[in-house]
Amino acid sequence: MNLNPMEQFAVKPIFGLDKPLLHIGSHPIFFTNQALLMVIVAVASALFLSLAVKPGALVPSRSQSMAELSYEFVANMIHSATGEDGLKFFPFVFTLFIFVLCSNFFGMVPGSFTVTSQIAVTLALACLVIGLVIVTGFMKHGFGFLKLFVPHAPWYLLILLIPIEVISFLTRPISLSVRLFANMLAGHTMLAVFGGFVVALGSAGGALSILSVAPMLLIVAIMLLELLVAFLQAYVFAILTCIYLNEALHLHDHH
Amino acid sequence: MTAPDPDRLTDLGKRLDEIQTKQAGRAQRPPPNQSGIAFRFATELVAGLIVGGGLGWGVDWLLGHFGFHTRPVFLILFFVLGAAAGIRNVVRAAAEINAEIARTRSDKENGS
Repeated sequence: MNLNPMEQFAVKPIFGLDKPLLHIGSHPIFFTNQALLMVIVAVASALFLSLAVKPGALVPSRSQSMAELSYEFVANMIHSATGEDGLKFFPFVFTLFIFVLCSNFFGMVPGSFTVTSQIAVTLALACLVIGLVIVTGFMKHGFGFLKLFVPHAPWYLLILLIPIEVISFLTRPISLSVRLFANMLAGHTMLAVFGGFVVALGSAGGALSILSVAPMLLIVAIMLLELLVAFLQAYVFAILTCIYLNEALHLHDHH
Repeated sequence: MTAPDPDRLTDLGKRLDEIQTKQAGRAQRPPPNQSGIAFRFATELVAGLIVGGGLGWGVDWLLGHFGFHTRPVFLILFFVLGAAAGIRNVVRAAAEINAEIARTRSDKENGS
């Protein structure tokens, strides 16, 4: 039996749509399993949140209180990280948080596809965040935003320190996206590897087949851990977005 | 159903306010776990190297187009700068985590 634990991350066209949908320049655009999952995540989360708050009851039902709790959770997070004037970024951070969270959770459904295990997706999200930070910083402070790269130091050290600060700023989209992508990739690969153990032991026959219960139980435990990681990584992504926005808004000197 | 007693309602409101102000100081964030911290440091460090090396390679490539064959001078230079930036990031991350731990500790002492 040949089980490839990385097979679950393969991006391929679906619905027999082997021909590209359209061309951008000479580059073909396919509708892939990844695109399908992103559409499902976006539609499902938007539908759930808008339907859940529809009744507007004073005593909320379960679904309404879920929507309200997630609203308050994100609002508190932004408030504690950026203060009052960061709240105008609430729609952006909330959308980002819900999208990453739902992508992670939909990826936990067996047989589905984890959008956030693709570096292309997480890097695009991280670049969006950094782009917003740069635009916000320049809109709020003009060229004073560049002071972010100048630490308090004698001038002869600045020659060395400014490039380091600039590179340090540029690493943010990389570390932000790699953290989310690597966590999801590692978790799902681990699940698939242990799933392979179950199949291999089960088909070995005899006393070995009974042993296949052990990795099975382990999978249950890892599944729970992965649910925690799915939430935690979405939270980390959102809180780091807030921290970076805070820097752009207030130019806090962090030296 | 009888009308609610106004005194009891104001009393309830007061108690709710008290609890809310008590909880407001406490951050709702989940505590940082050990492997999460280790993973964060690792990504910060590696990201610095990747960005530094990539930038240096790009500068060399660009200058090569204009006829200056500097390769691999800028690659080495920016790789070293990238390593420095990575360490800078790790130090900054460590300072943030320390501040967070100190905050939760002082919250605990004040709260209970």
